[in-house]
Amino acid sequence: MSELSRDLADLVWLVPVLPLLVAVLVGCRVLFGSAAGDGAERTTAALGELAALGAFLLLLLIDLSVLWHGWPGHRMFGIWFAAAHWQGSWSFLLDALALPVATLSALIGWLIVRFSATYLHREAGFHRFFIVLCLFLSGIQCVLLSGNGLLLFVGWEMCGIASFLLIGYAWQRPVATGNALFAFITNRAGDAGLLFSLGLAAYWVGSFEWPALLAAALPLVDLRVLVLGFAVAALAKSAQLPFTPWILRALEGPTPSSAIFYGSLLVHAGVFLLLRLEPMLAQLPDVLAGLLLVGLLTSAYAWLCGLVQTDVKSGLMFATVFQVGLMFAAIGLGWTTLATVHLCLHAAWRAWQFLLAPSWLVLTRDRPAPPPAWLRRNQWLYTAAMQRFWLDKLGATLLAAPTEAIARDVRSLEERFIDRAIGEPGRGQPILPERPLVCADGLPGRLLASASEMLQRVENRLLLRARGGVAERLLREAGRWLHTLEELLEQPRYLMMAVMVTFVVIL
Amino acid sequence: MQESPKLPLRQRLQGWIEHLTHILPAQAPIRDFVHHNTLHGFQHLPFAQALAAASRLNGAKPYWPEGRFLAEYAAGRIARADLAAALDDVGLSELDADVLPGLSRRTLFLAALLAGSTVPDKVRRDWLVREHEGDVDGLFALCRTLTASAPETSEDWRVLAEARWHALCREVGVTRTLRSLLENLSGEDVLETVRSILQRHLAAHLDLGFSAWPNPQAERGFFAAWKSCAAHDLAWELDELPGIRDEIHDLPDDPVVVLETELRNLLPDESLWLAYLERLALELPGWSGMFLWRDQHPAAFAGEPVDMADYLAVRIFLERHLCTELIRRLTGAPLGFDDLEAYYQGNPAEFLVRHALHSVNLPEDLQAAAAGLCAATVDGREVHGWAALAPRLGDFLQVDAANSRAWRLLELAGQLAWGDSELRALGPDGAACLLAAVDTLDPLLRGQIWLTAYEAHYRDQLFSALTVNARHPRAWPQASAQVVMCMDDREEGTRRHLEEVAPDIQTFGAAGFFGVAMYWQGVDDAAPTALCPVVVTPEHLVREVVKAGSETARENRAGRRETRLRWRERLYQGSRRHAIGGPLLTALAAVPALFALGASSLAPDWLARASRRWRLAFEGRLATELALTADGEPTDRVRQGFSDAEQLDRVEAFLRTIGLTEGFAPLVLILGHGSGSRNNPHLSAYDCGACSGRHGGPNARVFAAMANRREVREQLLGRGIAIPDSCYFVAAEHHTGDDSIEWYDLDRVPDAWQGKLDTLLAQLADACRLHAVERCRRLASAPPRPNPWQAKQHVANRVADPAQARPELGHATNAAAFIGRRSMSRGLFLDRRVFLISYDPANDPDGGIVERILLAAGPVGAGIALEYYFSTVDNERFGCGSKVTHNLTGLFGVMEGADSDLRTGLPWQMVEIHEPMRLLVVVEQTPAQLTQILGRQPALQELVGNGWINLAAQDPSTAALSRYCPRRGWLSWSGEAVLPQVAKSLDWFAGESGPLAPALLRGALA
Repeated sequence: MSELSRDLADLVWLVPVLPLLVAVLVGCRVLFGSAAGDGAERTTAALGELAALGAFLLLLLIDLSVLWHGWPGHRMFGIWFAAAHWQGSWSFLLDALALPVATLSALIGWLIVRFSATYLHREAGFHRFFIVLCLFLSGIQCVLLSGNGLLLFVGWEMCGIASFLLIGYAWQRPVATGNALFAFITNRAGDAGLLFSLGLAAYWVGSFEWPALLAAALPLVDLRVLVLGFAVAALAKSAQLPFTPWILRALEGPTPSSAIFYGSLLVHAGVFLLLRLEPMLAQLPDVLAGLLLVGLLTSAYAWLCGLVQTDVKSGLMFATVFQVGLMFAAIGLGWTTLATVHLCLHAAWRAWQFLLAPSWLVLTRDRPAPPPAWLRRNQWLYTAAMQRFWLDKLGATLLAAPTEAIARDVRSLEERFIDRAIGEPGRGQPILPERPLVCADGLPGRLLASASEMLQRVENRLLLRARGGVAERLLREAGRWLHTLEELLEQPRYLMMAVMVTFVVIL
Repeated sequence: MQESPKLPLRQRLQGWIEHLTHILPAQAPIRDFVHHNTLHGFQHLPFAQALAAASRLNGAKPYWPEGRFLAEYAAGRIARADLAAALDDVGLSELDADVLPGLSRRTLFLAALLAGSTVPDKVRRDWLVREHEGDVDGLFALCRTLTASAPETSEDWRVLAEARWHALCREVGVTRTLRSLLENLSGEDVLETVRSILQRHLAAHLDLGFSAWPNPQAERGFFAAWKSCAAHDLAWELDELPGIRDEIHDLPDDPVVVLETELRNLLPDESLWLAYLERLALELPGWSGMFLWRDQHPAAFAGEPVDMADYLAVRIFLERHLCTELIRRLTGAPLGFDDLEAYYQGNPAEFLVRHALHSVNLPEDLQAAAAGLCAATVDGREVHGWAALAPRLGDFLQVDAANSRAWRLLELAGQLAWGDSELRALGPDGAACLLAAVDTLDPLLRGQIWLTAYEAHYRDQLFSALTVNARHPRAWPQASAQVVMCMDDREEGTRRHLEEVAPDIQTFGAAGFFGVAMYWQGVDDAAPTALCPVVVTPEHLVREVVKAGSETARENRAGRRETRLRWRERLYQGSRRHAIGGPLLTALAAVPALFALGASSLAPDWLARASRRWRLAFEGRLATELALTADGEPTDRVRQGFSDAEQLDRVEAFLRTIGLTEGFAPLVLILGHGSGSRNNPHLSAYDCGACSGRHGGPNARVFAAMANRREVREQLLGRGIAIPDSCYFVAAEHHTGDDSIEWYDLDRVPDAWQGKLDTLLAQLADACRLHAVERCRRLASAPPRPNPWQAKQHVANRVADPAQARPELGHATNAAAFIGRRSMSRGLFLDRRVFLISYDPANDPDGGIVERILLAAGPVGAGIALEYYFSTVDNERFGCGSKVTHNLTGLFGVMEGADSDLRTGLPWQMVEIHEPMRLLVVVEQTPAQLTQILGRQPALQELVGNGWINLAAQDPSTAALSRYCPRRGWLSWSGEAVLPQVAKSLDWFAGESGPLAPALLRGALA
């Protein structure tokens, strides 16, 4: 029994793999057209629930085993790839931070899968939703349980893509797709930070594994640069200033996706990352001070903007960002345990509150108390809160618009040069006027055409032009040799030999 | 709308705003959702014309897509004969004349309808020809030769471009705004920007209690509030609209002045202004409608003044500036509308490319080329190549038009079973003639014909059922109890099952406020609510009070209830916006929330019942009674209670209406209804329509209490209604969601009736469980073929589950209404599709009673049926889309996500299985009598004469059926009357999940 429970931790890789498997499975069902009708919905939902519940129960059992055996700690399951002196590996870190948060996330994930199965009944995008939700569940567990930065990055990206896909769930609405793109682009800034730090880690520390990374004795300057990249990633993912606007544009998806992504789990991923890096942060009081400042500023910002919100989801979103800001502030003050506890409680409560967003009419009866009088009369602050301090517009002008302009330039580059160079099927022009049947377009096409032209010439020269030329003579010679060989082979003994030689080669 | 242009704008504006009330959605804040005709403002027009007008205004599709009708045709729900008859019904003339020798218009039209009207675009067409049919017999090629020589294909692209541009410009101010013209040119929708800018301000101004901080200038009206914000707003610079901020700052305070200036800048022609404002308002129908509703109902909510002129001024200001900015980006200069027209007249090539890109389905290569050119202009680069592309586009457009015609000819030939020889015989002129004849069937007319045929098919089934039922007269046992329910179509099922369970129970149906229009204040209610149809303003207030002696219990309960609600408020609001309390409350509530989430997912019904139990245990139970009888003279507008005389009037009128004036059973149950569901902003759309979208239980309770009073009964005797002492009235409420019954005042029922009451309780519970089984068959997520207990458990879980977007299906199956004795329909399986209204023609020689019933129930039934109709046929325009992305806004409506128009109408989940057709009202009365009533009542004339509902009559003595056609008068029905027979409902619906035809229930004969 005790042996068994100790080995449970060796199965932890199933936690992210199960939902991923289901995502692939449902994807295949959709791809092969077997996901149609009400019956298919049940299968998809059951698969999703099975994976989510399985992950939760497994984590729960691992938690139980901790009572006897203590924290399983860092577990290595295999090498992903290795080059020179550093390597990427499949490893998980099951410590007092990861296990509780992961268990809670798995529980919330399971409940929301159940909720969605009913809520999205008969939606056109039912299966698509479940594929993405499973992808997210897998991604978030990778983030939480990862034993190294690389695996965390993989999970981080999976979450980002899932978030993008669900914001654009109602893809027929231009607002939804536009917002999905905005969120995606903003999050790339954070991802850049993460990649940057991982690159530095590989270069300076020579490992992505958390224990090695956190214990590395780097000069403070280097450490600061390293941590800053991670911090940017955390700020972006948790929608702290100046990245806050993306999360307010992310409310276009179905209510359960708003709940699990932005109310409950994804929004806390940044907090978790910083908690993971606590030993590093502890050496950098100035970074901590920065985090404290950003957290407090974000809280003030979210509190102020939250006052003027008129729709339930935006109102709840600002409330969420407000408390996440407080968590950053707590980390900045070094109160990491408080931040962890706050994270867990907040995730649970917001999941419920977001899911019940449509009930706001019956849950409340009065208008909330107004802000203090000095604030209430301030027209400029009101306007600023209403326009969310224009961060949204600034983000669009400074980040999204240039990105789109670059995309346009790339497109026109492609159209004008690359497409022309590569060529398109069916648009070929005759190369030589005297051969209208030989058409080609683009560089490869023209190359091929001229190559064939050349071969044609060679052929003409060697064979067709003159009977009795060198080529003909050689060919005749070769023909004779081949003829002899064939005669020999037709005899049984040589045939047997040839068969045996074939067998030997095969074996 | 005719008016003198001499009047100052301010006065004309009043008329215009009044006019807008007819075309904008009239939905009240969502808490008071009541079904009404979505096109209420067009009700003065005949149905088809009204739909055409609405469609012209907002581009909605007022009929089901033809594909759906064709599917119904294929499924046998529309027969060829129905379609042929519908051609006559809609009033097409000369149907038997020949279009071509040997081909009558009727045959041609039938072929055209069955061929469908969707012509695939070029790419798909090519694919179909290539892959599917392969055009083996060369018919398509032949059709192409027949249509290629059509006269209009010899145009030059310049002529084409010029004609189209001219036509587009003429539409501005008539059927489109400048915005939509520019969208056509640039593909960029200014409305998106306008909405984002406006939406937050509008929501903030109209907010009913979500936001904590209103605009400091809000009390000066929307225009002032917007202006004071916009003048501080830095967003203009970021939107590349510098300078506009100063302009806003210097705007006059009077919105009407702004409106006039901007309108004049936009469109110098004053005669177009009204139409332009109409279009403008309709571009954001949800927000405009809600703003106008608040403008028109200033007393409904205290708070900021709401004036429609404010909204229009801001809207037109934004339209003008953003459009000018877009024109600047398009043409390089901020041109006015006239200059813009001249600009593209001078650049026809650029126009044609832009226009074709955004309004035609182009093949990929042309699209890529056009998109490339247009995209290049975004970065302000000088673009060449318009002139090279335009001729190619022109050629494509012409060839495509000819090919589309060829395709239509081919489809038509397919339906007419024509081959090569017939087509050749047709010749190009014949083809042109044929297509021209088919073109007279415009899309709306086609929809109308299909709808008429669809309705006719169901009508024939119903008529056949009614005729068969009349041929089987039956005698039922002496009534042991009488049950009066709401006329609601959902109660058809309850009544049928109750009668099947207990044949000795007699049932009645009536509008669910039971003739008692009142304000009601329950013992826990903070304020009274009106329980009666929306059009009625009650004059009486009935309060629920505690019984004498339990005042301290009441105090206790009120205190504890207040504590509970205050904590709940604190929790939800505090965790949202308290700086210090928020995190603390979050910490406190997290674990219970997780538990609640789990429990509501795994055992929703258990959680609901348990929390009700805990709530009662905490607050304490109260024995209550009604403060029913007025004790003094009326003191103010709303009287406390009803006087004896008023009670007498109401009881008498109601009993006479439903035809219950003699033969009272020992127990008479008045059964109101209501629904309940979790997490559902459209909650009240499921409740009783006759009680303004609330629960009808209190009305039932009040009526029963009145009818039990000795004073009332004594005086009733004087009016010829003798309620014997052996008769007792009880009241209850039926929960249409979980099929449970809440009984009222059972402790007051004298002992003598206890035995009978117990029996009734058990029978009704049985019937409800069977009803749950029947409901489960239409719910895809319900267990297949459940037993009654499983079914009951399933519906109970459904209602309690916060994840459930379809707690019940509401009126989704409504299709008809019967006004007459129950003997007319008793013993028929009607699939919960029929409103049943009790009425006894024998007691109504002059038709006064049926007149009142029609006046009261007609609009309610039509409102429900038409709201479902429109939300179904075009859920995007008339309905509010899927619930899953809905976001409650300002506590008055829902948006999709956090930035969209306000969505009105019914969500897709409610209308998913609805079969959109007009309500067929069958009255048990002679056509002559009904004709007189129609003549007397303009309101009915509007509904029936304009075809918003279909009227039919069943003669009380002969049971002969006839239907009313507004054009041709009464048409008697002589169809074939056959009906399948089954023992009981369950046998007919077991295993079926789709809509079912009527059947005769032999079990009910017993």
